[in-house]
Amino acid sequence: MPLDRRRFLQSTAAGAAAGLLYPRLAVAARMNEGRLLAPQPAHHPAKARSLVFIHLTGGFSHVDTFDYKPKLQQDDRKKVTAETLRDITEQPLLASPFKFAQHGQSGLWISELFPHLARVADELCVIRTLHTDILEHFQAVLAMHTGSATVPMPSIGAWLSYGLGTANPNLPPYVVLCEHLPYAGAQVWDASFLPPAHQGTRLLPGDRPIANLQSRTSNVTLAELEFRMLKDVNESHAAARNNDLALRARIGSFDTARGMMQVGPEVFDLSQEMADTLDLYGVASGDNRSFAWQCLVARRLVERGVRTVELIDTGTSNNWDSHGNMQDHRPKAARVDQAIAGLVRDLKRRGLLEDTLIAIATEFGRSPWDPGQGRNHWHKAFTCLLCGAGVRGGLAYGETDEYGILPIKDPVHVHDYHATILHLLGIDHMRLTYRYAGRDFRLTDVHGNVVQAILS
Amino acid sequence: MRFAWPAIAALLVATSPVPTKAQDDGEALFEARIRPVLVEKCFRCHGGEKTSNGLKVHSREALVKGGDRGAAIVPGEPEKSLLIAAIRRTHDEVQMPPDDKLREESVADFARWIKAGAPWPKYTTNSADSGDPAFRAAAHWAFRPAKKVAPTSDPSGWSDHPIDRFVSAKWRKKGLRPVAAADRQSLLRRVYFDLIGLPPTPEEAAQFLNDSSPDAFERLVDRLLASPYYGERWGRHWMDVVRYADTAGDNADYPIPEARLYRDYLIDSFNADKPYNRFVREQLAGDILAREGPPDRYAEQVVATGFLALSRRYATAPYEFWHLTLEDSIDTVGQSFLGLTLRCARCHDHKFDPISSDDYYALYGIFASTQYPWAGGEEFESKKFHRQHFAPLLSESDAARRAEAFRKQLDQMAAKLAELEKQLTAAGDADKPGIQKQVHELRAEHVQLQRSGLPPDVPGAYAVRDGQPNDAAIQLRGDPAQRGNTVPRRAISFLCPQPLEIPAGESGRKQLAQWLTRPDHPLTARVMVNRIWQHHFGRGIVATPSNFGTRGAAPTHPYLLDYLAARFVESGWSVKAMHRLILSSRTWQLSSADDDHNLAIDTGNELLWRHDRRRLDAEAIRDSLLSVSGRLDRSRPTTGHPFPPISDWHWTQHNPFKDVYDTSHRSVYLMTQRLQRHPFLALFDGPDTNTTTEKRTSATVPPQALYLMNSPEMAAIASSLAERLISNETDPARRIELAHRLCYARPPTEAEFPAGIRYIAEYTAEAARTAEGNGERAAWASYCRLLLSANEFFYVD
Repeated sequence: MPLDRRRFLQSTAAGAAAGLLYPRLAVAARMNEGRLLAPQPAHHPAKARSLVFIHLTGGFSHVDTFDYKPKLQQDDRKKVTAETLRDITEQPLLASPFKFAQHGQSGLWISELFPHLARVADELCVIRTLHTDILEHFQAVLAMHTGSATVPMPSIGAWLSYGLGTANPNLPPYVVLCEHLPYAGAQVWDASFLPPAHQGTRLLPGDRPIANLQSRTSNVTLAELEFRMLKDVNESHAAARNNDLALRARIGSFDTARGMMQVGPEVFDLSQEMADTLDLYGVASGDNRSFAWQCLVARRLVERGVRTVELIDTGTSNNWDSHGNMQDHRPKAARVDQAIAGLVRDLKRRGLLEDTLIAIATEFGRSPWDPGQGRNHWHKAFTCLLCGAGVRGGLAYGETDEYGILPIKDPVHVHDYHATILHLLGIDHMRLTYRYAGRDFRLTDVHGNVVQAILS
Repeated sequence: MRFAWPAIAALLVATSPVPTKAQDDGEALFEARIRPVLVEKCFRCHGGEKTSNGLKVHSREALVKGGDRGAAIVPGEPEKSLLIAAIRRTHDEVQMPPDDKLREESVADFARWIKAGAPWPKYTTNSADSGDPAFRAAAHWAFRPAKKVAPTSDPSGWSDHPIDRFVSAKWRKKGLRPVAAADRQSLLRRVYFDLIGLPPTPEEAAQFLNDSSPDAFERLVDRLLASPYYGERWGRHWMDVVRYADTAGDNADYPIPEARLYRDYLIDSFNADKPYNRFVREQLAGDILAREGPPDRYAEQVVATGFLALSRRYATAPYEFWHLTLEDSIDTVGQSFLGLTLRCARCHDHKFDPISSDDYYALYGIFASTQYPWAGGEEFESKKFHRQHFAPLLSESDAARRAEAFRKQLDQMAAKLAELEKQLTAAGDADKPGIQKQVHELRAEHVQLQRSGLPPDVPGAYAVRDGQPNDAAIQLRGDPAQRGNTVPRRAISFLCPQPLEIPAGESGRKQLAQWLTRPDHPLTARVMVNRIWQHHFGRGIVATPSNFGTRGAAPTHPYLLDYLAARFVESGWSVKAMHRLILSSRTWQLSSADDDHNLAIDTGNELLWRHDRRRLDAEAIRDSLLSVSGRLDRSRPTTGHPFPPISDWHWTQHNPFKDVYDTSHRSVYLMTQRLQRHPFLALFDGPDTNTTTEKRTSATVPPQALYLMNSPEMAAIASSLAERLISNETDPARRIELAHRLCYARPPTEAEFPAGIRYIAEYTAEAARTAEGNGERAAWASYCRLLLSANEFFYVD
């Protein structure tokens, strides 16, 4: 249930009304708090209220997962023209070492790497013709998040926060669960030129996902008093400086922090989760770190109104970048398969999948050829999945050639992918702009088309 | 081209290959006489994304294809080529270049070139539309020598200062007007953080604010530049650039206790205003210079090469994935000194800048001919390899003598061990345990002595020296297993056409350093003055300070940049002279006020009509918190980090070295690791210790607020400040005043006195009601914490 702007402001000022030790501040709080993050009207009725953005780092192989290529199996070791960064050479095709089968009523082809996702095949929309511009991890990861492979730009989560605000003022609008820093580091969730309040907040899976969540004093009034006095000091400072956006954002960060203190501990407290829910994800007793745990926490964050929850599965090493041997995909898939499938099923049975969009992607695919047993980076065709609100399940969209080298039907550029995600969240990607350095910027630069055919 | 540029001396003329065949004759002609003219005369209108009449001149194909009027050239047929008619000015409509007729010889050259089939040397490019990258490079501003430019005259008489004259010329062009000058309090705080990274104490503030002499600010700047804290601030900036860390970054992240010598070298160098050219040379080749230089500077120069030694390590064994460690050396040299991203050329010719794989492996050979130290790693733990190749900080003869003595000592111990082991086999049961114990102890001692990598009486540095000099082979696609041609060691060919004269037996680092620090080098001085500028304004004249390549940002003030670079070289590469120049400008001294008129024209303040408000960086935040609360030890630590003794080292990738050492010294002295970040520095956007950091970000995220509100560290700091107020003043109003002077370098406003007094009263009363500790002390601690958490503390106007 979305909060309207007025109720949003009331809720943040609620604490102030309780004590009234500092009435002037209560007024100030009501006037200024949450201005940046208050819910904003969508451009059109949204299908999805929240986004779960899952990034599988390192480039998972399309032809070993969701883009089945029988001809590749037949023509193993046949030489093809292979385009690399520098030149064009002849290289032998490499058949997938994994078995594929059709799943669900829709008959989606999914390889043995994802037995659990295979069981929710009818929920998945597989886009097989994604393509991007640069085949280096750093740049490609940046592109998947910001639409820009070079110059740092705001992340998609920051854009959504800017465009839609957040339904829960006590949690950050954009939360990133990631144990290891990804390629391009924190730039991946940066707000760049957007007001810093829209930046992703990284939570560290483990004992204390959010450090310093506990107040120093058990006396609520004292904490409240200090908080409001700080606000007063900051308000008069900002007022004398034309309400500089950076100053305002930092004031806002204290509001959010205080909200986190109230609701945060409960987000990570899984004691009320039923055993069958934990089993669904594969969360073991005492686990507070695994990808399964992160997926479950993602559901809890979505339930609490966080606009964008991002999950990044691995860091800059020991990831999906299987140059040496495709078998290295097995442990990576095993780590995320049940967890993601669990998230899909859990959201579905709670009715939350109706207004939650799950986007599962990687930065690029892998070359169908290789002289060895691994695969190189390949950016001209790769696969991503969408699932949930507003998306046709059980659909394989777009077609690559017989080996999975190039899209031959319905190519989808990263900009199109972003435009589609924004569309599902009620945003017209052409209209969500920010004026910076004399120019209107947007997530999709001057490109992007909504992929209409996958909308339900 | 984004901005007009004076005519150039085309860079590529000199790089043309020696022609050997008829085909090459045409290509040589192209390199020497055609491309430079295309670059100089045609590129401005026919080079970029938008081109006049659809014609591009950046590739043969583009000329053949031509523009709206059809083909510009017909290879082999000069008389049928539109281009020839245009430059001869015989065409009815098209006469090129529009205002500047080509010389007759040049026109003849074009005809000759087209007649020869218009040969254009092969190049690689990834995009069919981007043309010849060397062509673009020749036109790229940063690759041309800096021009000697005089400051624009300022008809408004706003300022005589050269910087102001360049900057105000841009304002006049855009209709901008500068905001007012900053008040003295703001200026004071700003200059303290800019130069020493610490807030002024109340006494220091009074000294400046009460000084009404006209040169008060100038003298303040001199005082700060002479302070030892200056080097700690600016040394830290350089540590960002050189990805300083106290650990190696291997899978177990082994500590490097000796790294701090390099850190101290950086601090001392900035304090001494070491000429930047010498600073660069020492970091690249200090070990070689040390042998030639005075004995009293031997250790200093050797330590300087910690720059290279600190290259990122990988995996578990010594020199494993060595090509990646050398990649880090090359990349850091490229980004830090040259503002070039060389890393791309490891696997392929650079896509955007004219740097080939040959260039990369030419540099690679230089560093591969260098002996790097090894600080440990998983295979140290397994005792397969000891720490090795640390550089002795004694003269070579002394070091050799002691090393020899050490070797003898180890040999004797080994012999003794062998002897004992023999005895052990022969001994009866009664004697065995005793001998066993001796063997055990001696073996442990023997191993420990070996493990440290240096004789105990020889001080050592984590530094490099020349190894076995060899040219390197190209690694195809960046794979060290796939060898291509061997390339001679040299500098980047398009910038340095001549080979380096590397004497036999040397790596070439010295010659590389000499080339880098030539006064006419197009990049070195520009890159450094831009870094200095960036730390004074928050953004460089080039907004991408480590990328001056074609994909970097264009300079907002190109002439100013060149002017500053020239001044820098003329001043003997004096960094402090550059500070004085910048800080004395009216531009730097502007207030950070907004102005709606200007905002509408230049939202991002690229043209510097005000001073941008900036958040303190992580180190300045921590140092200020400690300083204000009286907890800061301003001295330099006399001992190293409290790492466990080497004998206890046993880290592996499953159990990596992981520690945080608390210290009351300045943040520059914090122990920083590579595989984990220092928690405070990570929270407040500290540097990346794994790769060169060109610019800090200043994200504002709720976890920072949580730290300030709830962390025990912050509670302790707030209590200390409260104690300081309470012990110094009895009157609450005086305490409030002292708090503001300490935290914000200003007295409280009229309103802040009663607000503070009421706060203390309310807090004390509430605390007393719930009997929580000492109510009044808690109230002052709370008050201090909120003042220390406030925006005014974190931002500099």
